[in-house]
Amino acid sequence: MSSRSDDRHDEADVRAMTAPHQADFPYDRDEEAQVTRREFCNFLGLTSAALFVGAAGFSAAAAIEAQQVSVFMPTKIEGAETLAPGASLNFRYPEKESAILVRSLDGSYHAFGQKCTHLSCPVYFERGNQRLECPCHEGAFNAETGAVLYGPPPRSLDTVKLELRGSEVWAVGREPGEKNL
Amino acid sequence: MRASRGRTAVAQARLVLLLMINAAQLWILAATVEAALAHHFSALVPLIVASGICFFITLTIIFWWRPASRRYTSTGYLKK
Repeated sequence: MSSRSDDRHDEADVRAMTAPHQADFPYDRDEEAQVTRREFCNFLGLTSAALFVGAAGFSAAAAIEAQQVSVFMPTKIEGAETLAPGASLNFRYPEKESAILVRSLDGSYHAFGQKCTHLSCPVYFERGNQRLECPCHEGAFNAETGAVLYGPPPRSLDTVKLELRGSEVWAVGREPGEKNL
Repeated sequence: MRASRGRTAVAQARLVLLLMINAAQLWILAATVEAALAHHFSALVPLIVASGICFFITLTIIFWWRPASRRYTSTGYLKK
């Protein structure tokens, strides 16, 4: 109740302050606040156009990206050699794409793109269950194969190909995940 | 008075139709994003076409489907 009366005071202040300029710049707040039916229809038309352009643009971008043949430069994953079994490490490959390296309990290395294939949330390694989980919509992936265990993701995680060079672990390529059967 | 009420009804119907089409397009956009991320590329073209049809219907509603005066008929006949 008090806030409403404060609002009225504020409005009265604004009207009092702007009164000298009303002749030069006539402005009726109540009238300006009205939206005509035509304006609203035009707004809906613009929204429709934006939604169409958004759908077409997103599709085009995804299709172009899928057709591009990327050349992957081998990159050493820093800190991989000291990674304990049953732990994970985040890295970037290729360039700025985030990826996650998992060392299984048997000591083998597996790496995947970190984007969930559902809506691109970053997946994380759940140490207790030894699987990759997506916090957004409760999807989960096998930490050794990247395959979907449960949840909404429609395909496996992108796989980062690894190569062991002595004790060092190198990322040498990246493949898109396969669709669920 | 009655003519005015009729025009209002048509205007409300336009608004409701436009809102429904916007909601459908929003759903189509969500489906497009999911299909693209899932690499279901074969589903993308039908979705874009569906969104385009919705946009076309929106344009027809905005530009052509308007409340007309009840004094004029489609044949141009002027009622007295």
